[in-house]
Amino acid sequence: MLLVDLRIAARNLTRHTRRNLFLGGALAAVTGLLVLLGALTAGIEFAMLESATTLMTGHVNVGGFFKVTSGSAAPLVSDYPKVLAATRAAVPELDYFTVRGRGWAKGVSPSASMDLVLGGVDIASEPAVRRVLQPLAGSLDELAQPDTLLLFQGQAERLKVTAGDVITLSAPTDRGVNNTVDVRVAVVVKNVGLLSGFSAFIQAGTLRSLYGLSPSTTGAIHLFLKDQALAPQVAARLRTALSEQGWRVMEPDPQPYYMKLFQTVPSEDWTGQKLDVTTWEDELGQFKQLVFGLRVLTGLLVFILMVVVIIGILNTLAIAIRERTREIGTLRAIGMQRRKVLWLFVLEAGLLGLAGCTAGALGAAAVAGGLNAAHIPVPEAIQLFLSQEHLGFRFDAGAAVVDVLLLTAITVLASVFPAVRAARLRPVTAMHHIG
Amino acid sequence: MPACRTPLAALLLALAAAAAPARAAAPAAERRFDPSTPAGLAAVVKEIDERQRNQGDWKALCYMESKEKGKTDLASELLVYRRDADDKQMFLFTKPKAEAGKGYLRIEKNLWMYDPATGRWERRTERERIGGSDTRRGDLSDSRLAEEYDARFEGEAKLGAYQTWKLTLTVKPGVDVAFPVMRLWVDQATLNELKREELALSGKLMRTSYYPRWRRIWSESKQGEVWYPEEMRFFDEIEKGNQTLVLIKEIDLRPLEANLFTKAWLEARSR
Repeated sequence: MLLVDLRIAARNLTRHTRRNLFLGGALAAVTGLLVLLGALTAGIEFAMLESATTLMTGHVNVGGFFKVTSGSAAPLVSDYPKVLAATRAAVPELDYFTVRGRGWAKGVSPSASMDLVLGGVDIASEPAVRRVLQPLAGSLDELAQPDTLLLFQGQAERLKVTAGDVITLSAPTDRGVNNTVDVRVAVVVKNVGLLSGFSAFIQAGTLRSLYGLSPSTTGAIHLFLKDQALAPQVAARLRTALSEQGWRVMEPDPQPYYMKLFQTVPSEDWTGQKLDVTTWEDELGQFKQLVFGLRVLTGLLVFILMVVVIIGILNTLAIAIRERTREIGTLRAIGMQRRKVLWLFVLEAGLLGLAGCTAGALGAAAVAGGLNAAHIPVPEAIQLFLSQEHLGFRFDAGAAVVDVLLLTAITVLASVFPAVRAARLRPVTAMHHIG
Repeated sequence: MPACRTPLAALLLALAAAAAPARAAAPAAERRFDPSTPAGLAAVVKEIDERQRNQGDWKALCYMESKEKGKTDLASELLVYRRDADDKQMFLFTKPKAEAGKGYLRIEKNLWMYDPATGRWERRTERERIGGSDTRRGDLSDSRLAEEYDARFEGEAKLGAYQTWKLTLTVKPGVDVAFPVMRLWVDQATLNELKREELALSGKLMRTSYYPRWRRIWSESKQGEVWYPEEMRFFDEIEKGNQTLVLIKEIDLRPLEANLFTKAWLEARSR
């Protein structure tokens, strides 16, 4: 029976080709736009999070702070091999880990200076970093040498240096003693968004030497899980496990470590060592705000589109059904039930919606692929925020299916009201109707 | 022979040579210190500290001028309050208008900063730069060289018109200071410190300071004379071009009110 109804609905659609092509085309355009917007947002979000989680944070991090006096704070984990062993035992979901030095220093070149948040890396053990960073001058391999530094393009321009030049890093140790180290710029890499503004990387041993740290001291252990979504529960379990084994662990605080270093921790009344377990979401507060803003903007745009589309569909369907009132009267006169009339019109709208939206989604996928291949450059002013130099779409088939179903459902709902009105007409009235 | 690092410094020291007050009384010379012997060296360092120590309260009105490369020069006026008895210190900015009311309070090795714009207190590190300049709290506090450093006599040196003793000070084990090594040029005639070079842990020169003018004032609490540098010039050796001038315009060694050195007092003055 459904098959027959579908055939009738399909035949009706083909009989009003021009009108249905117009309506289906509008639906296809809206769906295409919706899918493209979603793919663009996902592309930006992916680029931001990939660079941030590779360069700045693991899925879960075991960091810490050491305070000689209550007013000071240094981002340190002392005796980290023991902490690492306890961490590995408590996290069976671990895929791999990296050990990162953390610090802050003033970078001084012969002509300028700027504050830098330093990451101490062992480049040989961090292949993921190579995937994200694109060298412009020098080589990433050089960063394995002592007294070397990685700068982002914007920082190198500000300090007026390039690969091979030497700058001085000046910072106080955890006990407040001033220290310096002269480092050679091993590599200058392309900017990767917000991070490039303040973050720089230094060879791990050099960072230890700047802060006068022992080889068993580091800044944080970055844990990468097999499933990133498990981060909050792993962090909670790890906090408990480390506390039970005698480490002092800080309460959960969703802020990046450098905010805690400069604001929260120095104002707390404790001294000594405390560990701090965070997730990537805690460390990327500012990125989350950006992504949230992007989503709100997309959502607003989609909402406006939806309102326009629903009004358009309602109007078009109302006119279409009004034009077919005599047809409805005839159907009713030969014995078709109201419910059946309603069903046929809704089915017709559903078919039209599904076809139009599917075509729109497929078109959007093709456009996204084409634009990705075209490598369209993003204006420099917004590259920093988007974490990408070229417009990048990330087409998600699942999200596209949801969009298609959503818009089809809206089309069906929009058709219900005029269809109900038509079905309620008395057959005689309908047949006398001048369409 | 060590030379002045900048022509400006040489000029300052030449001017200082002409300034009579600092040289007028030369009790140190009369005592015939001999820094070439360990006992004599210890006596010299102890004397440098002693002659600047008040052993009571003091209040000073300072003018501070800070030049930073690529930025507008910053001039400010601040009051410095100090009580030796319980090792407390307070800074209160009075000028310019934008900085007026900003203050630092040091209680029990904790340095707090008050910002009247936000009405918030923030704990800062003890070795924080004061008001964003090259000046640190220690520059406007008591001299504790004998307590914190081991000294080494490097020989005699001419500094401008002055005949000086050159000393190298290395921080004692377990003591936390901003600069682990310092080189001092001390006037042989007066034991006034004329020049200081401060080095980082790495051995790199970070800051050079000049003290071209010294004054003395009678202290009731000490029952003796207290010497203070009327002019201090700090030159950043890492970021060349950054420099700070501090002038102590007025100093008052009378006892301070009992209720000073509290957050409430500083907040009240900031309103």
